[in-house]
Amino acid sequence: MTWRLIRAELRLMRRDPLVLTFVFVFPVVTMLIIGGAFGTRPDRAFEYTDPAHWYVASYLTVVIGAIGLVMLPVHLASYRERGVLRRFAVAGFPRWSFAVAELVVGLVTTVVACALLLAVAAPVYGLPGVHSAWRVGAALAVGAVCFIGLGVLLGSVLPSARSAQAVGLLLFFPSFLLGSGGPPPHVMGAAVRAVARPLPLTLLTDAVRSPWLGIGTAGGSLLALAGVTVLVAAVAARRAVL
Amino acid sequence: MLAASPAESIVVMGSTDSIWGEPSPQTPLAVTVRGLRKAYGNRVVVDGLDLDVPAGEIVGLIGANGAGKTTTVECVQGLRRPDAGTLRVLGFDPVTQAARLRPHVGSQLQESGLPDRLRVAEAVSLFGTAHGADGASLLDQFGLGSRLRSAFATLSGGERQRLFLVLALLNKPRLVILDELTTGLDPAARRSVWAAVRQLHEGGTTVLLVTHEVDEAEALCDRVIVLRAGRVLDAGPPADLVSRHAGGAVIRFSLPDPPAGLLDQIRRLDGVCSVERDGPRVTVRGDRRIAAHVGAALVRWECVPADMSVQVPSLEDATIELIGGES
Repeated sequence: MTWRLIRAELRLMRRDPLVLTFVFVFPVVTMLIIGGAFGTRPDRAFEYTDPAHWYVASYLTVVIGAIGLVMLPVHLASYRERGVLRRFAVAGFPRWSFAVAELVVGLVTTVVACALLLAVAAPVYGLPGVHSAWRVGAALAVGAVCFIGLGVLLGSVLPSARSAQAVGLLLFFPSFLLGSGGPPPHVMGAAVRAVARPLPLTLLTDAVRSPWLGIGTAGGSLLALAGVTVLVAAVAARRAVL
Repeated sequence: MLAASPAESIVVMGSTDSIWGEPSPQTPLAVTVRGLRKAYGNRVVVDGLDLDVPAGEIVGLIGANGAGKTTTVECVQGLRRPDAGTLRVLGFDPVTQAARLRPHVGSQLQESGLPDRLRVAEAVSLFGTAHGADGASLLDQFGLGSRLRSAFATLSGGERQRLFLVLALLNKPRLVILDELTTGLDPAARRSVWAAVRQLHEGGTTVLLVTHEVDEAEALCDRVIVLRAGRVLDAGPPADLVSRHAGGAVIRFSLPDPPAGLLDQIRRLDGVCSVERDGPRVTVRGDRRIAAHVGAALVRWECVPADMSVQVPSLEDATIELIGGES
């Protein structure tokens, strides 16, 4: 039954305009705009890397943030609001089946949306070489699980799809601007940098971008993100039990 | 030899253990609830409730909004954990053995939908089971055979309810729980759903029907349980509840010049309580049998009034009397 639920959920995600807009279209469009805004000459503000490559390496996390802060909260809250989860429960779906389905759907969506982003970036800006593939892979994996957990958690506490959308967007855009797709940290004021630094999306972007572009290992960010992930995933898994 | 599973060995209770409506001695019980209590915060919704659902019967749970009907069936389904009390459903404890119970139960839940973009055929395939009923046949039977590719959001209220009924029957359940089944349906759709419920009953399926449509309970149920404020007020076959709580029948007709002795004879008929005459208008009160007796007497005396009306009390009258009397 879990497999049937995963297939159905994947099919429904494909038909969801919010998913198409925020997870597939928004990161690609904004990456194309921002990536072209600062040229391709290495710059101090971008740690002496090509600004276009800086944003290509940053925008994979925009996809992950959109899944965790917009797509999943709205999806889950709408299911709770409409009694879909109760229907799954009485129909005898295994208790963990929905949690597993959301994890799989989140991961599959992440992979497909990231692949699309890279496919669009490659001919336009070129893809930057990856200095530490395992660190980048680990950060993406941990970040995806972290944000899927956050999404499930938000969806399980917010009372309706509308409130989930409002709160999700309210969390997504500041995180996006401060931690991922906005200006680089070096041009931010100290106060703004202090606010941005502990945000999960900032930690994730740092843990992906630094080892990718060879400007550091960002081990501290990855460790902090892993800590948040353990906490969030544990609570989210319990909340998603049917 | 394998021991019978709880689902195969339904609890059998003698008459001394039965309550409210007294299923006959040794009636197998599909559902037994004893001392069920459930509160949300300080608000007690179900308060020491006992009920029996005999196997193979349609049992209606009726009461006003907030009577505790839905909470009771949610406990029966294992969706809510009771604060106190014991429940056995098809021999299983719905709290601790929910996973083993659910394959035997079909549920149509109140205020429970499906994802807007899920299509009818996809819903059947999602909720179907390997050894369950044929989804395509059920969809045809409930008039949804032509809507296979329609998204749930595009279905009318009646089509949605019929789809929920199809989903509830996909696992060939031995107990079907239907909560506010026909709410929002037009009269024709309602009748077709009633026919489907009767068909289930004929096939031996036990049905627990939660409704505040008393006429629905009267039309479908073998036994009705009336709830108020989380307690059972009375239970039994609809006719018994009517005779216990709804008062008698009233017959009115006009006889400008009744033959001598006719009204005296009507007064002496079995079940007649009173006969009043006001000019040509005659009003006869008594129990439900008087309609037949008075009609027969009028025919015998060759006085057949053109304007005879018979007002027979319904389960709705009984319920209003019962709930109103207790409040």
